Amino acid sequence: MSLDKMLQKISVRSPWLFRINAGSCNGCDVELATTACIPRYDVERFGCKYCGSPRHTDVVLITGPLTTKVRDRVLRVWHEIPNPKVTVAVGVCSISGGVFRGGYSIEGPIDRYIPVDVNVPGCPPRPQAILEGIVLARSIWLKKLGLEE
Amino acid sequence: MSDTLLAILHMIIFPGGIFALAVGFFFKGLDRRVEARLQRRVGPPLKQPWLDTAKLLTKETLIPKTACRQAFLLAPVFGFTGMAVCAAFIPIPGVYSGLNNMGDLLVIFYLLPIPAMALMIGGSASSSPFGALGFSREMLLMLAYETPLLMILLAVAMLAGKSIAGGAAGAEFSLLKIVNWQQQTGSLGLNTAMIPALLAYLIFLPGTLGVAPFDIPEAETEIIEGPLLEYGGPLLALFNMTSALKTFVLLGLGVALFFPGVISAWWPVNLIWFVLKCLVLMLLSITVVKSATGRLRIDQAFRFYVTIPAALALCSLILVWVM
Repeated sequence: MSLDKMLQKISVRSPWLFRINAGSCNGCDVELATTACIPRYDVERFGCKYCGSPRHTDVVLITGPLTTKVRDRVLRVWHEIPNPKVTVAVGVCSISGGVFRGGYSIEGPIDRYIPVDVNVPGCPPRPQAILEGIVLARSIWLKKLGLEE
Repeated sequence: MSDTLLAILHMIIFPGGIFALAVGFFFKGLDRRVEARLQRRVGPPLKQPWLDTAKLLTKETLIPKTACRQAFLLAPVFGFTGMAVCAAFIPIPGVYSGLNNMGDLLVIFYLLPIPAMALMIGGSASSSPFGALGFSREMLLMLAYETPLLMILLAVAMLAGKSIAGGAAGAEFSLLKIVNWQQQTGSLGLNTAMIPALLAYLIFLPGTLGVAPFDIPEAETEIIEGPLLEYGGPLLALFNMTSALKTFVLLGLGVALFFPGVISAWWPVNLIWFVLKCLVLMLLSITVVKSATGRLRIDQAFRFYVTIPAALALCSLILVWVM
Protein backbone atom coordinates (compact mmCIF):
# COMPACT_ATOMS: atom_id res chain seq x y z
CA MET A 1 0.00 0.00 0.00
CA SER A 2 1.44 3.38 -0.95
CA LEU A 3 2.02 6.14 1.60
CA ASP A 4 -0.76 8.17 0.05
CA LYS A 5 -3.29 5.37 0.52
CA MET A 6 -2.09 4.80 4.08
CA LEU A 7 -2.58 8.47 4.94
CA GLN A 8 -6.02 8.38 3.36
CA LYS A 9 -6.95 5.30 5.34
CA ILE A 10 -6.15 6.89 8.68
CA SER A 11 -7.48 10.28 7.60
CA VAL A 12 -11.09 9.26 8.26
CA ARG A 13 -10.31 9.01 11.95
CA SER A 14 -10.21 12.79 12.20
CA PRO A 15 -13.49 14.05 10.75
CA TRP A 16 -13.88 17.76 11.44
CA LEU A 17 -17.47 18.89 11.50
CA PHE A 18 -19.04 22.06 10.20
CA ARG A 19 -22.62 23.16 10.72
CA ILE A 20 -24.65 25.01 8.11
CA ASN A 21 -28.00 26.36 9.18
CA ALA A 22 -30.14 26.49 6.03
CA GLY A 23 -33.13 28.18 7.64
CA SER A 24 -33.58 25.71 10.45
CA CYS A 25 -35.80 26.42 13.46
CA ASN A 26 -32.69 25.81 15.66
CA GLY A 27 -34.09 22.57 17.09
CA CYS A 28 -31.58 20.45 15.19
CA ASP A 29 -28.79 22.93 15.96
CA VAL A 30 -29.47 22.57 19.65
CA GLU A 31 -29.25 18.81 19.25
CA LEU A 32 -25.95 19.19 17.37
CA ALA A 33 -24.58 21.32 20.18
CA THR A 34 -25.82 18.69 22.64
CA THR A 35 -23.97 16.02 20.69
CA ALA A 36 -20.79 18.02 21.11
CA CYS A 37 -21.15 19.31 24.63
CA ILE A 38 -22.88 16.74 26.78
CA PRO A 39 -20.47 14.14 28.17
CA ARG A 40 -22.80 11.25 27.41
CA TYR A 41 -22.75 11.93 23.66
CA ASP A 42 -19.15 13.10 23.27
CA VAL A 43 -18.28 13.27 19.53
CA GLU A 44 -14.66 14.08 20.24
CA ARG A 45 -13.98 10.40 20.92
CA PHE A 46 -14.25 9.77 17.16
CA GLY A 47 -11.63 12.46 16.66
CA CYS A 48 -14.30 14.96 15.64
CA LYS A 49 -13.98 18.66 16.25
CA TYR A 50 -16.46 21.40 15.44
CA CYS A 51 -14.55 23.88 13.35
CA GLY A 52 -15.44 27.45 12.51
CA SER A 53 -14.14 27.61 8.97
CA PRO A 54 -15.52 25.73 5.94
CA ARG A 55 -11.93 25.39 4.71
CA HIS A 56 -11.11 22.99 7.57
CA THR A 57 -14.17 20.84 7.11
CA ASP A 58 -14.51 17.16 6.24
CA VAL A 59 -18.08 16.35 7.28
CA VAL A 60 -20.66 19.07 6.78
CA LEU A 61 -23.93 18.89 8.73
CA ILE A 62 -26.81 20.81 7.12
CA THR A 63 -29.98 21.59 9.05
CA GLY A 64 -33.14 23.29 7.85
CA PRO A 65 -35.34 23.24 4.74
CA LEU A 66 -33.19 25.59 2.59
CA THR A 67 -35.12 28.84 2.36
CA THR A 68 -34.92 31.15 -0.68
CA LYS A 69 -33.02 33.79 1.26
CA VAL A 70 -30.29 31.43 2.38
CA ARG A 71 -29.93 29.21 -0.70
CA ASP A 72 -27.11 31.02 -2.50
CA ARG A 73 -25.15 31.48 0.70
CA VAL A 74 -25.42 27.80 1.60
CA LEU A 75 -24.27 26.79 -1.88
CA ARG A 76 -21.39 29.25 -1.74
CA VAL A 77 -20.20 28.01 1.65
CA TRP A 78 -20.62 24.40 0.52
CA HIS A 79 -18.40 25.01 -2.50
CA GLU A 80 -15.72 26.52 -0.23
CA ILE A 81 -15.24 23.15 1.46
CA PRO A 82 -12.20 21.30 0.11
CA ASN A 83 -12.61 17.79 -1.29
CA PRO A 84 -13.08 15.05 -0.20
CA LYS A 85 -16.16 16.05 1.79
CA VAL A 86 -19.21 14.21 3.08
CA THR A 87 -22.58 15.90 3.39
CA VAL A 88 -24.99 14.93 6.15
CA ALA A 89 -28.57 16.22 6.13
CA VAL A 90 -29.71 16.53 9.75
CA GLY A 91 -33.42 16.66 10.54
CA VAL A 92 -36.47 15.95 8.51
CA CYS A 93 -36.60 19.49 7.08
CA SER A 94 -33.34 19.16 5.21
CA ILE A 95 -34.29 15.69 3.96
CA SER A 96 -37.78 16.38 2.63
CA GLY A 97 -38.77 19.89 3.66
CA GLY A 98 -40.77 18.56 6.59
CA VAL A 99 -43.75 20.67 7.62
CA PHE A 100 -42.40 23.52 5.48
CA ARG A 101 -42.52 21.46 2.28
CA GLY A 102 -44.18 23.37 -0.56
CA GLY A 103 -44.01 26.68 1.29
CA TYR A 104 -43.62 29.82 -0.81
CA SER A 105 -40.16 30.55 0.58
CA ILE A 106 -38.78 27.02 0.53
CA GLU A 107 -36.27 25.93 -2.10
CA GLY A 108 -35.53 22.56 -0.49
CA PRO A 109 -35.17 19.70 -0.02
CA ILE A 110 -31.42 20.09 0.03
CA ASP A 111 -30.61 17.28 -2.38
CA ARG A 112 -32.08 19.36 -5.20
CA TYR A 113 -28.87 21.40 -5.03
CA ILE A 114 -26.29 19.44 -3.07
CA PRO A 115 -25.48 15.70 -3.26
CA VAL A 116 -26.41 14.45 0.21
CA ASP A 117 -24.54 11.37 1.48
CA VAL A 118 -26.28 10.61 4.78
CA ASN A 119 -29.80 11.40 5.94
CA VAL A 120 -30.42 11.69 9.67
CA PRO A 121 -34.22 11.95 10.05
CA GLY A 122 -36.03 13.22 13.12
CA CYS A 123 -37.64 16.41 14.35
CA PRO A 124 -35.18 16.95 15.90
CA PRO A 125 -33.06 13.79 15.59
CA ARG A 126 -31.79 12.22 18.79
CA PRO A 127 -28.07 12.73 19.57
CA GLN A 128 -27.52 8.99 19.15
CA ALA A 129 -28.91 9.24 15.61
CA ILE A 130 -26.60 12.16 14.81
CA LEU A 131 -23.64 10.17 16.14
CA GLU A 132 -24.64 7.23 13.97
CA GLY A 133 -24.87 9.57 11.00
CA ILE A 134 -21.34 10.84 11.63
CA VAL A 135 -19.99 7.29 11.93
CA LEU A 136 -21.79 6.39 8.68
CA ALA A 137 -20.28 9.48 7.06
CA ARG A 138 -16.84 8.11 7.91
CA SER A 139 -17.41 4.90 5.98
CA ILE A 140 -18.85 6.86 3.04
CA TRP A 141 -15.75 9.04 3.14
CA LEU A 142 -13.62 5.87 2.89
CA LYS A 143 -15.66 4.72 -0.10
CA LYS A 144 -15.19 8.11 -1.77
CA LEU A 145 -11.44 7.66 -1.39
CA GLY A 146 -11.76 4.24 -3.06
CA LEU A 147 -10.95 2.31 0.10
CA GLU A 148 -12.87 -0.28 2.11
CA GLU A 149 -13.04 -0.36 5.89
CA MET B 1 31.97 23.84 9.27
CA SER B 2 31.12 20.76 11.30
CA ASP B 3 29.77 23.05 14.04
CA THR B 4 27.34 24.59 11.58
CA LEU B 5 26.30 21.14 10.38
CA LEU B 6 25.78 19.98 13.96
CA ALA B 7 23.70 23.08 14.70
CA ILE B 8 21.53 22.38 11.65
CA LEU B 9 21.08 18.76 12.77
CA HIS B 10 20.06 20.06 16.19
CA MET B 11 17.42 22.20 14.49
CA ILE B 12 16.06 19.38 12.31
CA ILE B 13 16.26 16.22 14.42
CA PHE B 14 17.00 16.69 18.13
CA PRO B 15 15.77 18.70 20.04
CA GLY B 16 14.29 20.93 17.33
CA GLY B 17 12.28 19.58 14.40
CA ILE B 18 11.32 15.94 14.67
CA PHE B 19 11.86 15.35 18.39
CA ALA B 20 10.16 18.60 19.43
CA LEU B 21 7.29 17.82 17.09
CA ALA B 22 6.81 14.33 18.55
CA VAL B 23 6.84 15.66 22.11
CA GLY B 24 4.63 18.61 21.17
CA PHE B 25 2.04 16.33 19.56
CA PHE B 26 2.16 14.08 22.62
CA PHE B 27 1.47 17.13 24.80
CA LYS B 28 -1.36 18.28 22.54
CA GLY B 29 -2.99 14.84 22.50
CA LEU B 30 -2.71 14.49 26.25
CA ASP B 31 -4.05 18.02 26.70
CA ARG B 32 -7.19 17.23 24.71
CA ARG B 33 -7.62 13.92 26.50
CA VAL B 34 -7.22 15.37 29.99
CA GLU B 35 -9.53 18.26 29.13
CA ALA B 36 -12.17 15.75 28.02
CA ARG B 37 -11.73 13.76 31.24
CA LEU B 38 -12.06 16.91 33.35
CA GLN B 39 -15.38 17.53 31.60
CA ARG B 40 -16.29 13.86 32.12
CA ARG B 41 -16.10 12.98 28.45
CA VAL B 42 -14.18 10.11 26.87
CA GLY B 43 -12.07 12.33 24.64
CA PRO B 44 -10.03 11.61 21.53
CA PRO B 45 -7.22 9.04 21.41
CA LEU B 46 -3.75 10.16 22.39
CA LYS B 47 -2.53 10.00 18.79
CA GLN B 48 -5.24 12.39 17.56
CA PRO B 49 -2.83 15.22 16.54
CA TRP B 50 -1.02 12.73 14.29
CA LEU B 51 -4.31 11.58 12.74
CA ASP B 52 -5.34 15.22 12.19
CA THR B 53 -2.04 15.94 10.46
CA ALA B 54 -2.37 12.85 8.25
CA LYS B 55 -5.90 13.92 7.34
CA LEU B 56 -4.86 17.48 6.51
CA LEU B 57 -2.05 16.23 4.28
CA THR B 58 -4.56 14.37 2.12
CA LYS B 59 -6.94 17.31 1.70
CA GLU B 60 -6.81 19.70 -1.23
CA THR B 61 -5.40 23.22 -0.76
CA LEU B 62 -7.61 26.10 -1.82
CA ILE B 63 -6.05 29.54 -2.23
CA PRO B 64 -8.37 32.56 -2.40
CA LYS B 65 -8.25 34.41 -5.72
CA THR B 66 -7.68 37.77 -4.06
CA ALA B 67 -5.00 36.54 -1.65
CA CYS B 68 -1.37 37.59 -1.88
CA ARG B 69 -0.16 34.21 -3.05
CA GLN B 70 3.49 34.15 -1.98
CA ALA B 71 2.88 35.56 1.48
CA PHE B 72 -0.09 33.26 1.95
CA LEU B 73 1.97 30.17 1.07
CA LEU B 74 5.16 31.19 2.87
CA ALA B 75 3.70 32.40 6.18
CA PRO B 76 3.22 28.88 7.67
CA VAL B 77 6.72 27.86 6.53
CA PHE B 78 8.15 30.98 8.18
CA GLY B 79 6.44 30.18 11.46
CA PHE B 80 7.46 26.53 11.41
CA THR B 81 11.14 27.13 10.68
CA GLY B 82 11.29 29.91 13.26
CA MET B 83 10.02 27.58 15.96
CA ALA B 84 12.20 24.65 14.85
CA VAL B 85 15.28 26.88 15.18
CA CYS B 86 14.05 28.20 18.52
CA ALA B 87 13.63 24.65 19.84
CA ALA B 88 17.34 24.03 19.24
CA PHE B 89 18.14 26.85 21.69
CA ILE B 90 16.26 25.22 24.57
CA PRO B 91 18.61 23.25 26.81
CA ILE B 92 17.38 19.94 28.17
CA PRO B 93 19.06 19.63 31.58
CA GLY B 94 21.44 16.69 31.71
CA VAL B 95 20.83 15.76 28.06
CA TYR B 96 21.50 18.63 25.72
CA SER B 97 23.13 21.96 26.41
CA GLY B 98 21.45 24.14 23.77
CA LEU B 99 23.11 25.96 20.91
CA ASN B 100 25.74 27.38 23.14
CA ASN B 101 25.81 31.08 22.41
CA MET B 102 26.56 34.06 24.60
CA GLY B 103 23.09 35.53 24.92
CA ASP B 104 20.74 32.79 23.85
CA LEU B 105 18.05 34.01 26.25
CA LEU B 106 17.76 37.15 24.12
CA VAL B 107 17.75 35.10 20.91
CA ILE B 108 14.89 33.02 22.29
CA PHE B 109 13.02 36.19 23.22
CA TYR B 110 13.30 37.40 19.63
CA LEU B 111 12.41 34.01 18.09
CA LEU B 112 9.33 33.41 20.26
CA PRO B 113 6.96 35.88 18.52
CA ILE B 114 7.64 34.34 15.08
CA PRO B 115 4.59 32.00 15.02
CA ALA B 116 2.32 34.89 16.02
CA MET B 117 3.88 36.98 13.25
CA ALA B 118 3.38 34.14 10.78
CA LEU B 119 -0.28 34.08 11.79
CA MET B 120 -0.52 37.83 11.30
CA ILE B 121 1.15 37.71 7.88
CA GLY B 122 -0.97 34.76 6.76
CA GLY B 123 -4.14 36.33 8.08
CA SER B 124 -3.61 39.63 6.33
CA ALA B 125 -2.39 37.95 3.13
CA SER B 126 -5.56 35.85 2.94
CA SER B 127 -7.57 38.97 1.98
CA SER B 128 -10.37 37.92 4.31
CA PRO B 129 -11.88 40.54 6.64
CA PHE B 130 -11.84 37.95 9.43
CA GLY B 131 -8.13 37.46 8.80
CA ALA B 132 -7.61 41.19 9.25
CA LEU B 133 -9.61 41.13 12.48
CA GLY B 134 -7.54 38.21 13.73
CA PHE B 135 -4.41 40.14 12.75
CA SER B 136 -5.30 43.13 14.90
CA ARG B 137 -6.31 40.95 17.84
CA GLU B 138 -3.15 38.85 17.61
CA MET B 139 -1.01 42.00 17.55
CA LEU B 140 -2.77 43.53 20.54
CA LEU B 141 -2.44 40.33 22.53
CA MET B 142 1.22 40.03 21.59
CA LEU B 143 1.93 43.58 22.79
CA ALA B 144 0.26 42.70 26.06
CA TYR B 145 2.02 39.41 26.85
CA GLU B 146 5.52 40.33 25.64
CA THR B 147 5.95 42.86 28.45
CA PRO B 148 5.63 40.36 31.34
CA LEU B 149 7.80 37.87 29.44
CA LEU B 150 10.59 40.39 29.08
CA MET B 151 10.41 41.24 32.77
CA ILE B 152 10.44 37.55 33.75
CA LEU B 153 13.52 36.88 31.64
CA LEU B 154 15.18 39.99 33.02
CA ALA B 155 14.47 38.97 36.62
CA VAL B 156 15.99 35.52 36.07
CA ALA B 157 18.99 36.96 34.22
CA MET B 158 19.66 39.54 36.93
CA LEU B 159 19.41 37.05 39.79
CA ALA B 160 21.76 34.68 37.97
CA GLY B 161 24.12 37.52 37.04
CA LYS B 162 24.28 38.64 40.67
CA SER B 163 25.61 35.35 41.97
CA ILE B 164 27.64 34.03 39.00
CA ALA B 165 31.17 35.43 39.22
CA GLY B 166 30.26 37.62 42.16
CA GLY B 167 28.05 39.93 40.12
CA ALA B 168 30.91 41.13 37.96
CA ALA B 169 29.11 40.40 34.73
CA GLY B 170 25.82 42.12 35.53
CA ALA B 171 22.86 40.25 34.05
CA GLU B 172 23.54 36.75 32.73
CA PHE B 173 21.87 36.04 29.40
CA SER B 174 23.34 32.61 28.67
CA LEU B 175 20.63 30.05 29.31
CA LEU B 176 23.18 27.26 29.69
CA LYS B 177 25.02 29.15 32.45
CA ILE B 178 21.71 29.89 34.19
CA VAL B 179 20.79 26.19 34.07
CA ASN B 180 24.19 25.06 35.35
CA TRP B 181 24.13 27.65 38.13
CA GLN B 182 20.68 26.51 39.24
CA GLN B 183 21.77 22.87 39.28
CA GLN B 184 24.47 23.84 41.79
CA THR B 185 22.54 26.26 43.98
CA GLY B 186 18.92 25.05 43.73
CA SER B 187 15.99 25.65 41.41
CA LEU B 188 14.70 29.18 40.95
CA GLY B 189 11.10 27.96 41.15
CA LEU B 190 11.68 27.39 44.89
CA ASN B 191 13.34 30.77 45.43
CA THR B 192 11.05 33.26 47.23
CA ALA B 193 12.06 36.14 45.00
CA MET B 194 11.20 34.11 41.90
CA ILE B 195 7.78 32.77 42.87
CA PRO B 196 5.93 35.82 41.46
CA ALA B 197 7.90 35.45 38.21
CA LEU B 198 6.97 31.77 38.04
CA LEU B 199 3.29 32.64 38.51
CA ALA B 200 3.59 35.31 35.81
CA TYR B 201 5.14 32.74 33.47
CA LEU B 202 2.27 30.31 34.14
CA ILE B 203 -0.22 33.08 33.30
CA PHE B 204 1.79 34.06 30.24
CA LEU B 205 1.64 30.52 28.75
CA PRO B 206 -2.06 30.31 27.73
CA GLY B 207 -1.94 33.76 26.13
CA THR B 208 1.01 33.07 23.93
CA LEU B 209 -0.20 29.59 22.98
CA GLY B 210 -3.63 30.95 22.09
CA VAL B 211 -5.77 28.65 24.22
CA ALA B 212 -8.86 29.53 26.23
CA PRO B 213 -9.48 32.02 27.81
CA PHE B 214 -7.03 33.81 25.50
CA ASP B 215 -7.87 32.15 22.17
CA ILE B 216 -9.18 35.52 21.02
CA PRO B 217 -7.27 35.87 17.71
CA GLU B 218 -8.49 32.44 16.55
CA ALA B 219 -11.96 32.57 18.09
CA GLU B 220 -13.92 30.10 16.00
CA THR B 221 -17.41 31.23 16.88
CA GLU B 222 -17.05 34.99 16.51
CA ILE B 223 -14.41 35.57 13.82
CA ILE B 224 -14.44 32.01 12.41
CA GLU B 225 -10.83 31.14 13.30
CA GLY B 226 -9.53 34.54 12.14
CA PRO B 227 -6.15 34.24 10.42
CA LEU B 228 -6.58 30.49 9.94
CA LEU B 229 -9.92 30.91 8.18
CA GLU B 230 -8.64 30.55 4.61
CA TYR B 231 -6.00 27.94 5.39
CA GLY B 232 -6.78 24.31 4.74
CA GLY B 233 -4.97 21.08 3.96
CA PRO B 234 -1.17 20.87 4.30
CA LEU B 235 -0.79 24.57 5.12
CA LEU B 236 -3.10 24.23 8.10
CA ALA B 237 -1.17 21.10 9.11
CA LEU B 238 1.98 23.25 9.12
CA PHE B 239 0.28 25.76 11.43
CA ASN B 240 -0.77 22.95 13.77
CA MET B 241 2.79 21.62 13.82
CA THR B 242 4.09 25.12 14.59
CA SER B 243 1.71 25.30 17.51
CA ALA B 244 2.95 21.91 18.80
CA LEU B 245 6.57 23.08 18.48
CA LYS B 246 5.71 26.28 20.31
CA THR B 247 4.14 24.28 23.15
CA PHE B 248 7.37 22.31 23.48
CA VAL B 249 9.56 25.42 23.32
CA LEU B 250 7.61 27.40 25.90
CA LEU B 251 7.28 24.52 28.36
CA GLY B 252 10.96 23.67 27.86
CA LEU B 253 11.90 27.29 28.48
CA GLY B 254 9.82 27.28 31.64
CA VAL B 255 11.59 24.17 32.90
CA ALA B 256 15.00 25.58 31.99
CA LEU B 257 14.28 28.87 33.75
CA PHE B 258 12.65 27.58 36.92
CA PHE B 259 13.13 23.83 37.47
CA PRO B 260 16.26 22.58 35.69
CA GLY B 261 17.17 19.91 38.25
CA VAL B 262 18.42 16.49 37.18
CA ILE B 263 17.84 13.19 38.98
CA SER B 264 20.38 10.90 37.36
CA ALA B 265 23.64 10.80 35.48
CA TRP B 266 22.12 8.70 32.72
CA TRP B 267 20.60 10.86 29.96
CA PRO B 268 17.39 8.89 29.08
CA VAL B 269 16.18 9.24 32.68
CA ASN B 270 16.87 12.97 32.53
CA LEU B 271 14.98 13.25 29.25
CA ILE B 272 11.91 11.54 30.73
CA TRP B 273 12.22 13.71 33.85
CA PHE B 274 12.31 16.81 31.63
CA VAL B 275 9.19 15.73 29.71
CA LEU B 276 7.40 14.99 32.98
CA LYS B 277 8.19 18.46 34.34
CA CYS B 278 6.94 20.02 31.10
CA LEU B 279 3.79 17.95 31.44
CA VAL B 280 3.08 19.21 34.95
CA LEU B 281 3.60 22.81 33.80
CA MET B 282 1.21 22.23 30.90
CA LEU B 283 -1.52 20.61 32.97
CA LEU B 284 -1.34 23.40 35.56
CA SER B 285 -1.24 26.39 33.28
CA ILE B 286 -3.09 25.27 30.15
CA THR B 287 -5.34 22.24 30.48
CA VAL B 288 -7.03 23.00 33.80
CA VAL B 289 -7.52 26.66 32.93
CA LYS B 290 -8.78 25.87 29.43
CA SER B 291 -11.39 23.35 30.53
CA ALA B 292 -12.81 25.67 33.18
CA THR B 293 -13.04 29.02 31.39
CA GLY B 294 -14.75 30.68 28.46
CA ARG B 295 -13.21 33.24 26.13
CA LEU B 296 -12.39 36.79 27.24
CA ARG B 297 -12.86 39.86 25.07
CA ILE B 298 -9.70 41.34 23.60
CA ASP B 299 -9.85 44.48 25.76
CA GLN B 300 -10.28 42.38 28.91
CA ALA B 301 -7.36 40.16 27.96
CA PHE B 302 -5.18 43.18 27.17
CA ARG B 303 -5.99 44.84 30.48
CA PHE B 304 -5.39 41.56 32.32
CA TYR B 305 -1.96 41.01 30.80
CA VAL B 306 -0.66 44.53 31.33
CA THR B 307 -1.74 44.48 34.98
CA ILE B 308 -1.55 41.15 36.81
CA PRO B 309 1.31 39.19 35.18
CA ALA B 310 3.24 42.42 34.60
CA ALA B 311 2.82 43.37 38.26
CA LEU B 312 3.92 39.89 39.39
CA ALA B 313 7.00 39.98 37.16
CA LEU B 314 7.83 43.50 38.33
CA CYS B 315 7.49 42.28 41.90
CA SER B 316 10.16 39.64 41.21
CA LEU B 317 12.35 42.18 39.50
CA ILE B 318 12.21 44.50 42.50
CA LEU B 319 12.84 41.63 44.94
CA VAL B 320 15.92 40.65 42.94
CA TRP B 321 17.07 44.25 42.97
CA VAL B 322 16.80 44.78 46.72
CA MET B 323 18.03 41.35 47.82
